Amino acid sequence: MTRIWKRSILGGTFFAVAMVALVVGSLFVMVTLKITDERATNRANTRLMELMASAEQTAAIACFANDVTLATETARGLTLSSDVLDVAVISGGRELARVFRKGARQPPGNVPLPGRLVAPLYSPFNPSEKIGELRLDPNLESIRATVFEEIRYVALLLVLLAAAMVSAVAAVLGVLVVRPVKTMSDQLHVMDAGAGERLPVPRGHEESELGRLAGDINGLTGKLVAAAMKEHELRLQRELDERKYRAIFDNVEAGIFLVDGEFRLKSFNPAFGRLMRLALAERYREIAGFRLSELPWLDGEGLAALVNGCLADNAARSDDLELDLAEGGRRWFNLVLRPVGEGLAQGMASDVTERRLAEQKARQQLVTDDLTSVANRAGLEAVLRARIEAHASAEHTEFALLLVDLDGFKRVNDALGLPVGDEILRNTARRLQSCLYEEDVVARMGGDEFAVIARAGTGEEGVARVAERIVSVLNFSFLVADAPAQLGASVGVALFPGDGRDVPTLLRNAELALDRARANGGHRCQFFDSSMAQAAQALRRLDTDMHLAVRRHEFRLFLQPIVNLLERRLVGAEALLRWQHKERGMVPPDAFIPVAEETGFIREIGLWVLEAACQQLALWQGEGQEYYLSINISGRQVPDGLTPAMLLDATRRHGIVPERLVLEITEGVLINDMVKAQSWLAEVHEKGFRIYLDDFGTGYSSLSYLKRFPVDTVKVDQSFVRDMSDDSSDRKLVEAVVAMAHSLDMQVVAEGVENATQARLLRDMGCCHAQGYYFSRPVPAQDFAAVAEEITRRFALEQ
Amino acid sequence: MVGFQRIFFLLAVGLLLLPQAAVAGVMVVVNPRSSVDHLSRDDVINIFMGRFRQLPNGLPASPVDLPVTERAKPEFYRLLVGKDMDQIAAYWSRLVFTGRTAPPMQAGSVEDMIRYLNANPGAVGYMDSNDVDRRVKAVLELK
Repeated sequence: MTRIWKRSILGGTFFAVAMVALVVGSLFVMVTLKITDERATNRANTRLMELMASAEQTAAIACFANDVTLATETARGLTLSSDVLDVAVISGGRELARVFRKGARQPPGNVPLPGRLVAPLYSPFNPSEKIGELRLDPNLESIRATVFEEIRYVALLLVLLAAAMVSAVAAVLGVLVVRPVKTMSDQLHVMDAGAGERLPVPRGHEESELGRLAGDINGLTGKLVAAAMKEHELRLQRELDERKYRAIFDNVEAGIFLVDGEFRLKSFNPAFGRLMRLALAERYREIAGFRLSELPWLDGEGLAALVNGCLADNAARSDDLELDLAEGGRRWFNLVLRPVGEGLAQGMASDVTERRLAEQKARQQLVTDDLTSVANRAGLEAVLRARIEAHASAEHTEFALLLVDLDGFKRVNDALGLPVGDEILRNTARRLQSCLYEEDVVARMGGDEFAVIARAGTGEEGVARVAERIVSVLNFSFLVADAPAQLGASVGVALFPGDGRDVPTLLRNAELALDRARANGGHRCQFFDSSMAQAAQALRRLDTDMHLAVRRHEFRLFLQPIVNLLERRLVGAEALLRWQHKERGMVPPDAFIPVAEETGFIREIGLWVLEAACQQLALWQGEGQEYYLSINISGRQVPDGLTPAMLLDATRRHGIVPERLVLEITEGVLINDMVKAQSWLAEVHEKGFRIYLDDFGTGYSSLSYLKRFPVDTVKVDQSFVRDMSDDSSDRKLVEAVVAMAHSLDMQVVAEGVENATQARLLRDMGCCHAQGYYFSRPVPAQDFAAVAEEITRRFALEQ
Repeated sequence: MVGFQRIFFLLAVGLLLLPQAAVAGVMVVVNPRSSVDHLSRDDVINIFMGRFRQLPNGLPASPVDLPVTERAKPEFYRLLVGKDMDQIAAYWSRLVFTGRTAPPMQAGSVEDMIRYLNANPGAVGYMDSNDVDRRVKAVLELK
């Protein structure tokens, strides 16, 4: 049973007001009664004092005159007051008179009563002389009765007042506050906000706090109703979305799953089940504990690392993992894990087997030579790196790197065409493999160069045997298009770790050894030694210096005069390149020209020579001299390094005719690439440049060259001319050359003429031109004028 | 303020205009043959105010008042107990009511008093100092 004041605000208010009024009223009444008591008592006292004062004078006179009658009368007058019990007049210690109130109980004896009042009596004629006293005993009972009466009256009034006030306050509160609140509360209690009902504002409270409260409640109700409706809409939307996503989840091709840190699958979609070839039983096995790790992963640690990494770092992780499925064999799956909180990761699995296989193939291709199916350069380097790494951790892992170059392949290829060349390369790879151990590796480095990594456990001799075997198996001849073709192999060997501890060094050193093998004629094997590296370094330095030399203007053209023996006059000069090295002094041409030819820098030098020669010719032309100038052309310059157009351009720029410029070529130029050389020569000759064939007699000296190429002049090598005077066979040879040249309508220049005898002999045999120390050494261009003068003077003297 | 000042002024003037007591002093006198030579002020008060009517020599004292016409009477009571005649009358009216004590006997004149003094050895009277002569004996001078 709930108490009414707890249930009803109205009852509660009345009860509270009444209780408060009771407590406060009681306190107030108590205080008031206390005050009233004191005041009534005081008032009685005052009254008594005043009473006494009124009788004092007469009592004093009675005392003064010792008049008992007067004293008695005075006392009796005082006892008329109901407040007085008895009165005594004392004169000089003697009781002059004592009167008790009539009807009052007489106190026993002479004991002083409580509350006794005593007033001193003074002589009427001398206020300072005390002559007696007036004693009055108040009638306490009477006084109390009076006071009590007053108190009762006051209390009654207060209680009535309090009751009236409480009633009034309660009534006002009830009407003004409580009833409207109760009404609002009751209405609110039964109000259906959802149906649009709102709380009415209590009448008369439109402006008050109650009105505002009602307004606020209505406002809040409105918002709540709106929020509830919004919430409802959202829930509907969410359910819709969820159904949509559920459909996506169920129908998507990718496997989607939720996994926790224990690899337990919390949820997965049908696609996941299909992908993982989960048995039907497993597919419907509830979330309770089917683990991702139960699948037949090949790399269980990889899976653990993926899941743990994802959850530990709270970051997305992805990896490809291989699954060995009973049906379907090994399949690769790409797993992408994304943390979704609460120790769960959402994963997506897709079958990437095709991609992985394609990648694997691509990787394989990257390191495989398409043509021969052996490793390519990248593959070789990878194997080398692996072997070098293995060496750091294992014994007896020395190995040899052999670089194999097919001698003469280029010619065969050029002559017989690419298909034949390809067949030869394939054949070479097979032959190489045939003479190697299982673990040895064959690679094609490019072109006709192969590499072999062979174990070197048996020492250098073992490697040498392998190399020799390679040289011998590749020394093969075969028929192609009815023509026998002969090929051989050069092998350069570098040993690991002796000849290099890293891939680039090993490759370079093997290459150096191979170069040496080739330089030594091919068909052989060459082990690397440190002198090769030094030589290579010297060459590199020389190459660098040559590049610098152009910029530093260290190259010079020296001119060696060429004379016409028959007409006894100077006709031209051969331009010879000299290198005045800043530190090393004069560098002989033999020391740098081959290197320049090797590196191709000869083309740069050739252009410089052409430019300098043209300048010299222009100078002579300005001086009115009609000398010609011959420059040496290297095989590397033909045909692209010094095209006919370049030659023509140079002569035109310097304003000279091409006929003044002589190009000296050697047989080497012609042998290198006969077809191109022929067309180059033809074109140059056609433009007007003259062609000298240099060093005639030292090489093949095939007469067919003279016939096939447009050569103007042959230069007889100085080795013939030098021994001509002593050796008659040489003299006859020169004689034959001169005769043959003349018969082919060519001129002859004899080189290396050192004395008058030689000059005379040559002139006698009809050799028209000559050059050599006898006439002049090669001299700097600025000295040429003086030399020309000297030669002219000598010819004049001889006559 | 002006009013008060005026009142004070009038009061002062009034006081100055009051007839000055021609009495030089009041002398308490007894029968010239009495053995009492001197009375104290308290003796005089006790005798005249009815408290203790006995002379130092043991004789009953009998006080005599001058008639109200004599200026010495109010002067005597004024000098003796500091009260005017009305107050003295009020005093006696209360005692007379009981009948126990009587006020001093009333003499008709100074001469009458002298006679009474000479006639009663216990009589005590008073008079203007100027009126004292050999027929009476001064026992206390009140100034």
